[in-house]
Amino acid sequence: MAAVPRGLISRFNQFLSIRSVTTSPSESLPHCSFFLLRRFSSDAGLVDGAGSDIVGDPTRIIEAKQGEMSKSSKRTGIIAVKCGMTALWNKWGARVPVSILWVDDNIVSQVKTVEKEGIFALQIGCGQKKPKHLSKSVVGHFRAQGVPLKRKLREFPVTEDALLPVGTSLGVRHFVPGQYVDVTGITRGKGFQGCMKRHGFSGMPKSHGASLSHRSGGSTGQRDAPGKVFKGKKMAGRMGADQRTVKNVWVYKIDPARNLIWVRGQVPGAEGNFVFIRDAWYKKPDISKLPFPTYLAPEDEDPSELEPIVADLGELDPYLLAE
Amino acid sequence: MQSIRSTTRLLLQRHRVSISNTLRFTSSSSSSSSSSSSSSSTSSCGSWSDNESRRLGFDSFSSTRAFDSASTYRISSLKNAAFSSSVVPKQNLMYSSRCFSTVGDSVQNTSQVSSEELASDVPQRIKFKRLDKTAKHIMQIIDKEAIEEVRTHREIPKIEPGYLVQLKVEVPENKRRVSIVKGIVIAKRNAGLNSTFRIRRLVAGVGVESMFPLYSPNLREIKVLEKKKVRRAKLYYLREKTNALKKH
Repeated sequence: MAAVPRGLISRFNQFLSIRSVTTSPSESLPHCSFFLLRRFSSDAGLVDGAGSDIVGDPTRIIEAKQGEMSKSSKRTGIIAVKCGMTALWNKWGARVPVSILWVDDNIVSQVKTVEKEGIFALQIGCGQKKPKHLSKSVVGHFRAQGVPLKRKLREFPVTEDALLPVGTSLGVRHFVPGQYVDVTGITRGKGFQGCMKRHGFSGMPKSHGASLSHRSGGSTGQRDAPGKVFKGKKMAGRMGADQRTVKNVWVYKIDPARNLIWVRGQVPGAEGNFVFIRDAWYKKPDISKLPFPTYLAPEDEDPSELEPIVADLGELDPYLLAE
Repeated sequence: MQSIRSTTRLLLQRHRVSISNTLRFTSSSSSSSSSSSSSSSTSSCGSWSDNESRRLGFDSFSSTRAFDSASTYRISSLKNAAFSSSVVPKQNLMYSSRCFSTVGDSVQNTSQVSSEELASDVPQRIKFKRLDKTAKHIMQIIDKEAIEEVRTHREIPKIEPGYLVQLKVEVPENKRRVSIVKGIVIAKRNAGLNSTFRIRRLVAGVGVESMFPLYSPNLREIKVLEKKKVRRAKLYYLREKTNALKKH
């Protein structure tokens, strides 16, 4: 349902634009009043916007039902909280270092379409938040969409066939164990760091006469020509706390009852911070196995009864094969 | 802990919880079914001012809740300590609606309390912990569960520095041969599932130290042969000595 601005001024504008669009008063009056009545009674259904063709453009109906994924379609991602890292033993006794990500109540909070916003995207919200902790504009956004208050919102561009209606909840079963994902997060902040740590400079000798500059950056440029230091010269400064994406992370295990994902390796960020998980771009997963547009739970399924699903490691013991 | 007790008593006064209530550690969508009768396990009726949050929000809350603090564990231990019908209402209250679903299961399993379940009420005050606290709590729970699972499959005796131990180790790299390792434990590192211990032994006249993860599936069997008396947690001094430990 579209978020229709409900202030008086916008109502006036809509009224005026209806007036301007319609042709003759005799025909248009019931038409207008019909529209006005509809507008006053409910928010939903009508495409608004100053100057847009109100009568003509039908609203897009987006349903949550299973579809076929094609090679060019793109699913949404989900937002998770990084919990920490451990190491597990897999079926063959090998150690797998894992990061545990907790997908806390993801819900679609806004759908962006080409007609209105210019792109196809889904805005996903994660977590909970109290209204006293949010500004009025943000609370108003949630109220207009009819969605509970979320702590983190993030938009994921998708293709048209992967749109989901507002209020669809996403879970961990959106991903399949054994697939690869890209995980984006804000890295840990390291503070003000020297160029050796920040850029990997090798510094200068510890002895042999090097004076007072063992870890410094050395020269910063040439002489009279150009006579300046180029912009972007790598120097000491604040390191960390920027967004990075770790690619091709292997999903080891998911727990649908508790909405946890175990992925192999590291993900950016500290514990307790949000990360955004999407299908991998380079190691594309097998299309037939992914739930598209997302995993829609059947009615009779009780999420608490589900068992964790571990990635399929194959039947042959890799150690015995290596002889 | 004291503050938790006092707040639970406060809640008691407000709600008049009856003893026969059941404490349900709310799992995902059992919210709708569980919003029956019995007074709220947790938070006060100072619920949300936003009505819509109640209607809409609860469905989202119903799916996996965040974790409550470590108070849940303490409360279970309190339960264990003095489980009587009169004591129950004081103690089993402080669970917010956002209880992690398996906390109940694991806590109940580990503490062996056949506690009744309190149905969660619909308008519950949502308690927010800092997300990293919740994250740490999740890690603790996962760790505990993983250890429990390993312990049910295999018997792992208590290993302390100074024990003479014999292990049957399966080495996957070596065509899965099961070799017997016998030596003295000189160090133990506690890290939940990744707890390790070091064994020092003489292999063909050469002293060799090896480190083994305690809960590894490759450790087929651990048998404690003898316990030596040591006054230290890490026996690295044995590297310089021979035959240092005589009496036990």
